[in-house]
Amino acid sequence: MTLHQLVIEAAARRPGAPALSGPSGSVTYGELDATANAIAARLERQGVRRGDRVVLWAGKSPATVAAMQAILRLGAAYVPVDGSNPVARVATIARDCAARVVVTNRARIPRISAELGLEVRYEELDGPYDPAPAINAATTSEDLAYILYTSGSTGTPKGVCLTHENALAFVDWAHDLLAPGEDDRFANHAPFAFDLSVFDLYVAFRAGASVHLIPPELSFAPVQLVEFLYLERISVWYSVPSALAVMMRYGGLLDRPAPETLHTVLFAGEPFPITQLRDLAGWTGARMMNLYGPTETNVCTFHEVTKADMDRDRPVPIGIAAGGDRVWALRDDGGVAAAGEEGELVVDGPTVMSGYWGQPPQSGPYHTGDLVRTLPDGSFDYLGRRDQMVKIRGHRVELGEVESVLENHADVAEAAAVGVGEGVDTRLVVFVAPRSGRDPGVLALRQYLTQHLPRYMVADEVRISSPLPRNGNGKIDRLALAARAGGSGTSSS
Amino acid sequence: MALDEITPRITTFISESFLDGDPKGELTESTPLLEWEVLNSMNSALLLNFLREELRVDVPLSSINAANFRDIAAISNLVSGLMAVPAEGA
Repeated sequence: MTLHQLVIEAAARRPGAPALSGPSGSVTYGELDATANAIAARLERQGVRRGDRVVLWAGKSPATVAAMQAILRLGAAYVPVDGSNPVARVATIARDCAARVVVTNRARIPRISAELGLEVRYEELDGPYDPAPAINAATTSEDLAYILYTSGSTGTPKGVCLTHENALAFVDWAHDLLAPGEDDRFANHAPFAFDLSVFDLYVAFRAGASVHLIPPELSFAPVQLVEFLYLERISVWYSVPSALAVMMRYGGLLDRPAPETLHTVLFAGEPFPITQLRDLAGWTGARMMNLYGPTETNVCTFHEVTKADMDRDRPVPIGIAAGGDRVWALRDDGGVAAAGEEGELVVDGPTVMSGYWGQPPQSGPYHTGDLVRTLPDGSFDYLGRRDQMVKIRGHRVELGEVESVLENHADVAEAAAVGVGEGVDTRLVVFVAPRSGRDPGVLALRQYLTQHLPRYMVADEVRISSPLPRNGNGKIDRLALAARAGGSGTSSS
Repeated sequence: MALDEITPRITTFISESFLDGDPKGELTESTPLLEWEVLNSMNSALLLNFLREELRVDVPLSSINAANFRDIAAISNLVSGLMAVPAEGA
């Protein structure tokens, strides 16, 4: 079984059923299938073959999803890069994974080809699409389906490689858990480069249900997201808790009765503050699920929210193993943490990635770097990180990557990034000490960051601070910076 | 409220909330706010909330697009246009 078979089968069963809708229009399963074949034919002419990688640099639209399907139908892997990413980063990713082709909108091709020249080929995402015969290259479940690039602590992004088997282990598990029907309407809040979107797209496709794309401009617009939920008659919602928190706090979500259509709310990517979850649970009778897992393991644990959880004084547990995985907490001394003990969460099983692109394959269990406490019932509470990674609205950000980008700027002597605040209020603040005699403006530095990092890694605030404060042993005093940035600081070290 | 009142209110909000007060005075009406991520996802939410709470303007779903939020001039024009339409029940 392969991931792209889900759309092929849904299109054969009900070609006229709605598959996707977004600001640029809607398509049925039959149309999605036909567009996928048309784009696959174009890519085949460009030389894409089984085992290749194809970078897909585009915003959210039915055409972008059709291109993912097209790439899979050729036996190749897609590498989604959000349309808002700077061209320099797209080029870095395309080079890193030795992409055969970059697929993007016509208007963007001159910019990316100026960076990459003849290293890769370029294909237009835009229509009109010439009808093409069905393409479905022989693919096995061990073939790569997609590569998701995440923040890397050394200053370069890392490509997390997922096979068809990895993805389907999660999709099948989630489908069995929720048993969605063909009339269900899934919201897609996450960008396609963020693994939350794998649920929205493929669980819906497996059920023959429809997916309703939320464009990035809307993704944190409070009143407008609430309007979207009602207008699109969403039945399954999945997002980072921050999006729900913004809808509750600024969007008036709780001021009107919950839509009757909404029966399942899932969240992942960061802890959901319990007071906010209580408010949400008091508003809707929908089933609520906390899903957990770094990109490297897709979703590896889950917890269904219960009435009893509302009496907790901390976020709900991340729960028990999902997707056929085995999970346990490893103590510092190497033993397995018993009930009440803490350790690093370790995951083994079918959802664990095949490895990072360009590095030796993942062998054995994956160590998440997340600290958990084992609970008496065998589930886990999330406690925090072992390293300098912070979560900004569910996206992981290695502070070292942001700092190293800034320190490459000609006017910057040194830089320190801190994550401050909790949950939806977490902000990424960078402090910059200029070289002597230089005076880079905060806006100029922002512009520089946007040319080198994806949107979610560009700081919420840039501040000039010369010199950066030091602690007793001469290291940058991150706690002092976090305090100055106006929060207690979620940054470790 | 006229455009020459709206623009400074929005400029001050953006400068103080997201630019550390803009010490070098770089912010202008044509600074590309979206392109430079001054208005990132969360800051956009805070700006929309400011428009709603302080300027009493609800931006409709259909007006949330890159063209309307490109820079301070575009946002001011949008807000001024929305203010000209009497609110429901007013």
